[in-house]
Order: sequence, then structure tokens, then C-alpha cells
Amino acid sequence: MNCETCHLNELELEPREIKDVLRCILHTIFFHRTLTLVRPKDVDCERFQITYVQCGLPDLEKEVDEKINQFIAWAEKHPNRRSQVCLSFFDEKNKHPGWFSNKTERIYWEQWFINLHVISPKGHGKQHSSKAQTNITGEASEQASSRHDALGSLIQEVLFQIINYANEKKDHIPPISDRIFNHEISIPR
Amino acid sequence: MASLSDSGGGGGGGGGRSGAELMVPQFHLKALHAILAVRAPRPIATAPASASAAFRRRDRWFHLPLHAPPPPAAAEHIPEPSLGEPVVVDVYLAPSGGGGREEVVERWTVACEPWPRGAASAGEGLAVNKAYKRCITLLRSVYSMLRFLPAYRVFRDLCASGQAYNYEMGYRVGSFAAPFSRAEEAAMRTQRFAPVETQLGRLVVSVQYLPSLAAYNLEISSLAPVVVIDEYIGSPAAEPMRAFPASLTEATGSAFPLPSRRPNSWASPAYWPQSPGQPAKFSPSPASYASPTPSPPTFAGGYLHSRLSGETAPMSIPQASGSRGPVQYRNMSDPSRGFMLPPPSPKSIRGEAGSHESPTETSRSFRRAEGLRMADLYANLPAAPKMKDSRDESGRFSGVFSSSGSPRLGISRSSSRLSMQDDTDDSYLPFAVDDVDAPDSRPGSSGGKEDQSGSSHKSQDAAVGYLVHLLRSARPLRDPSNSSITSRAESTEAGSTSSFMSRRTSDAFEELESFKEIRENLLARSRSRLQDSLDRS
Repeated sequence: MNCETCHLNELELEPREIKDVLRCILHTIFFHRTLTLVRPKDVDCERFQITYVQCGLPDLEKEVDEKINQFIAWAEKHPNRRSQVCLSFFDEKNKHPGWFSNKTERIYWEQWFINLHVISPKGHGKQHSSKAQTNITGEASEQASSRHDALGSLIQEVLFQIINYANEKKDHIPPISDRIFNHEISIPR
Repeated sequence: MASLSDSGGGGGGGGGRSGAELMVPQFHLKALHAILAVRAPRPIATAPASASAAFRRRDRWFHLPLHAPPPPAAAEHIPEPSLGEPVVVDVYLAPSGGGGREEVVERWTVACEPWPRGAASAGEGLAVNKAYKRCITLLRSVYSMLRFLPAYRVFRDLCASGQAYNYEMGYRVGSFAAPFSRAEEAAMRTQRFAPVETQLGRLVVSVQYLPSLAAYNLEISSLAPVVVIDEYIGSPAAEPMRAFPASLTEATGSAFPLPSRRPNSWASPAYWPQSPGQPAKFSPSPASYASPTPSPPTFAGGYLHSRLSGETAPMSIPQASGSRGPVQYRNMSDPSRGFMLPPPSPKSIRGEAGSHESPTETSRSFRRAEGLRMADLYANLPAAPKMKDSRDESGRFSGVFSSSGSPRLGISRSSSRLSMQDDTDDSYLPFAVDDVDAPDSRPGSSGGKEDQSGSSHKSQDAAVGYLVHLLRSARPLRDPSNSSITSRAESTEAGSTSSFMSRRTSDAFEELESFKEIRENLLARSRSRLQDSLDRS
């Protein structure tokens, strides 16, 4: 079985935006790839005016949040770096089936690469005159606002990308089981 | 085939052929319900669906229950589309209240393109379970896309606030839709989902949408009432001293029984054009499948109407008659007014009556004067103890009669008074009246008073009742028709303020003198009795 991969568009974001962005993307992928009976839950991301859907599985939500927190901790230690968060779906099979061997191997059938560029927010410069500082503050806020709007559009493009890919590549999906597919969320180390 | 899913947990039934036959129409319905659930604005309960809520059988189709929010009730009655016919859902925005063009902001198309003739066998080899799995993914994409598009935010705004906006969102469902113009086509973007091949054909889903709805400038309409308050101050359901209820947003019903003679819009659910589940306000009614067109909220007028009627809430005022009520109340509320328009002295009336008036006109003028005197009577009602004191001193309504300056008015017109006495109904009188002694207890009075000594034996009840009757039947003070009354009493009553003030002063002085006389008499009696007792001892 071939492993289908999808590389999503890169997103440039600040550390405080990581949680919302990753939640939105990861849960959208899970919603498309969790083919068991779900309880869809609409979640509003007010920061970017986006509503995405979760599967309504508390364990999955907890796992996603834990991984996101780990990535945030990593990003704090490695600022201004490009990185990837990888969501992989796999099957487990016995490597060497036998009486005395219980080794299993993972056979990945799909991987999603979420490309992120975490940038540090622009700090305040030297002490200027009050008027100059007001101008700088005003320009900075305008730039931040435009950057924020642009990021919102890019996130929506990424979500559309997930929809297109999830629908185009379906033949490799294993048979539906009574639980969600085996998966793992990998963060850089 | 037992089920459509690999695990056997799907919602289908029967063999493979029947599963394939069921799957396509079920997909149509499921997609339609998913679209309408978030494109038909209506009041939606904010409480999320319980996690332990059981799934219905149809919820299990494609493993996607539609409960948050559920599809509108109207969607349940849309007939199942036939194979080969597409289901087209137009979502549009239109100015509220009509009068504007409906502009389509989204167009969803769900169709199963049958295999062409000669290629029908291509579908027979397809595994139903794989097709079903792909349908699940496709439906998930539709579900997600419905929330990514800008119309979803508009839908949420229209549902959440409960206010009326300057635009309304509606939908039309049919198998055909008018093609877009070139300009409309150019403004829209198209998202085509990857088709799913089934045994019956290719399931194709696409959406055309406006990428931005900022041009519509959605705003809250000023014509919409914000909150309907059931019990506002002055409403018949509210008591003056009662605090406002905790919830002011309850639009129907009232915690307090409303008087049956006051049908208010908030008391009757029939006044409300919408109820939970009805999309009357937010989406138009379907022509064929179109959503209902909302009409302006009729309860606004009803609310206003009921509010206006509520302002005429009855008050516990003993009213002699409807026409006299306001005047009477005005007089009751302002004791000074009664003194401003005191009736003329019996002396003057008799004089006038004898020289100029016919007995009928005299009686009319007397009634009018007595009406005014009744005002004096009611003006003194709040000071009941004062009245009682005066009554204790004189044993009669000296306050009333003395304020008028001519308590014998009711007595001097004995004939007319006696004729009215039987008609008097004093059951509503708010006070108890004792019998009044003869006017001779007030020495020093004018000659006119002496003539009325015989009437002192009449009960004060009858006198008061007579006065009330006069007040009821008397004409309003400012009635132009009263100009027909030509007595000097009329002219003096309508005279200048100085004359009124002089009468008021004269009445007061008279009353003061009478009180002094009474006091002296009482003191004299007490001294005499004391002297007698001392002599005896």
C-alpha cells in the first residue's frame, strides 16, 4: 500500500497563534479521516473568524492539545524557524507473525505535513519621542492587522486544500473500523 | 449485503443491490439536510446536543448525525429526489421586508449522473462498501465547507441574536435553477468535490459561492423590536409595587392572570408569527421548495396596540359616569380645585332662581353647583380624619357643607333632593356617613340657613348620595353646551379668579365662624353641666 502524502501550504505565524492554527488544521484532517460514527462539533476560532468541525471525541481533543503544547514549547526554544508538524495514519501489522514474536510494524498509508514558520513578534525599539512612538505604534498595528488578515486567508486556503486532497485521495484508506484509525502526531525535536 | 459499511455499522439494509439503491437517495437527502441546517436561519437552542443522546437510525447514514444544528422542520417534507434529477439549493440574501431583489450568494448542486447507456455495467462492478466509504468522506467535506464559506457567518448572526437585520437569508430547493448571468458567474467561485462512483452513477457535488459578503453590510434593522416586555409598568399584569420579573425575554404568556377583558399580544401565542421550528421570520416560504418569505413582524403593531390599551389600565376610582370620570378624578386629586369652583350660596341661587330662572333651569344650575360641591366632598376624602373630627364636633359633614358655604343647598332644594333621594346608590361610597343634626347647631348662620333647619333631620348618607347623583348627572365644567345655562351661578362660576377666591375666602370665614360658635356652645354646655353637678353635690 502506498503512503499518500500531502504537503500543506506554509503558514507564517506568531507563537500566540500556534494553538488556534494547529487545532483548526489537525481537527479538520481528523474529521475527514475519522470515518466512524462521530458527533460533529462546531468550534469557532474567533481569532481568525473561522469555524471548523471537530469529531466530538474527548480523547482525541486531549491528544491534539497535548501535542500542540509540546510544539509551542519547542517553538519557544527555537524561535524564528521553519518547522513541520506531521500527522500520520498507519496500520499495525505483526512484523514476524509467530508464537514468540509480537513485534509489530507500522505501515503508514497517509501523512499530512503542516508547514509552519513561527516568527517572533516585532518588539518595541528605542525610546523615541511620544509623537514618533505613536506613529511607530500606529504603523505596527496596521502591519499586524494586515498580517493577521492575510494569515486568515491563508488558513482558509489550507483548509480548502485539505478538503480537496481528502476527496481526491480515498482509495488508499483502509476499511472502516469501529474506532478511529491509528495515527500519530509528530513534532520536531 | 447486510450493510453498506465494512464494519457492518452503516444505516443501510438489505442486499447489495438495495444498499446501492438506498445509498444515492440517502446521500441526496443527507446533503440537503446538512445544507439547510446552516442556511435556514431560525431560532436555534444554544444548548449543545447531549453527548449521550441516542442516534436515530437515519443519523447513522454516512456516520454523520445532523444535530448541531439540526435541519429545519421544512426540510423533512421535501420529497426524495428522483434518480438523475439534481438537487439545487440556492441560498440568497434579500433586503428585509421585501422590495429588494434576492441575490444568490451560494448555489449547491448535488446530482447523481447516471451511467450512460452502454456503460451501465461499469457501475455494477463497483463495491458498494467502497462507494459508501467515499460518500462518507464526501459528506464530511460538504459539512466542513458549509462552515468555511462566508454565508455561514451570516447565518449565525441571523440565528444567534434574534434581532431582525436589514437582510434576510432564504433558500430555494429544486431540481432546476436559473443560470447566473455572466457578471454573477464571474463574481462567484466554484468548488467541485471529487465525484464518487456508485453503481447507479456518479455522485457529483459542487458549490458556487461569493467569496465575500462584505458588500451586504449586514446591520441590525431599527424596525425590529428588541425585547418584548411582558409586564411593563402600567400593564394590567403588573402591579405598581411589584418588581420586574427575572426574564424579560419571555414573549408569550404571563405569570399573572390577565383580565379577560384585556387581550394583550403577549398573552396570546396567536399573536406571535413565529415559534420554535418555524422559519417564518428568517427565511421565505418555498414556492415549490423555496423557503417561506418572512412578513414584517405583526406583533409589533399588536404590541403597540396592546401597549396603548395597557395604558388605559383601570384604576380603582369610583366613577359616577364615564364622561364625568376624568373631571371627577381631577377634582378628587386636587382638593384646591374644588375650592376654586365653589357653588354659589343658596341665597344667591334662590334669588336668581326666583327672578330669572325657571324651576328646571334652577334645578339644573343647582345640580351643577351640587356637582361642584360633590367635588368638594371628594376633595375632602383623603383627609378623612379631618372630616371625622369635623363630624364629631358638629355631628354632620360640616366640612363639606361649610366649605361650600351653603350646606343647605342640598336641604333647601328639598323637593328636588327628595325626588333624587330614592335613586341614590351609595354602595360605592368609600366612607360611612352618620346622620347630620339640624343646621340650628350652627348659630350665627345666615338667614338662608335657618330655612333649611327641617332638612337637618335627613341622613347624611342621603345627602351625600344625592350630591353624588348630582355629580354624575351634571355636565362637564367646560362643556360648551353649558352656555345654555344662564343663571348667575353659571356666570359667577365661570367668572374671574378673584371672585372665586373671594368666595373661597368667604366660605372659609363662614366655616370658621360656625366652628367658633359650635365651640362656644359646647363650652357653654359643659360649663353648665359642670355647674349643675357641683350644685347638686
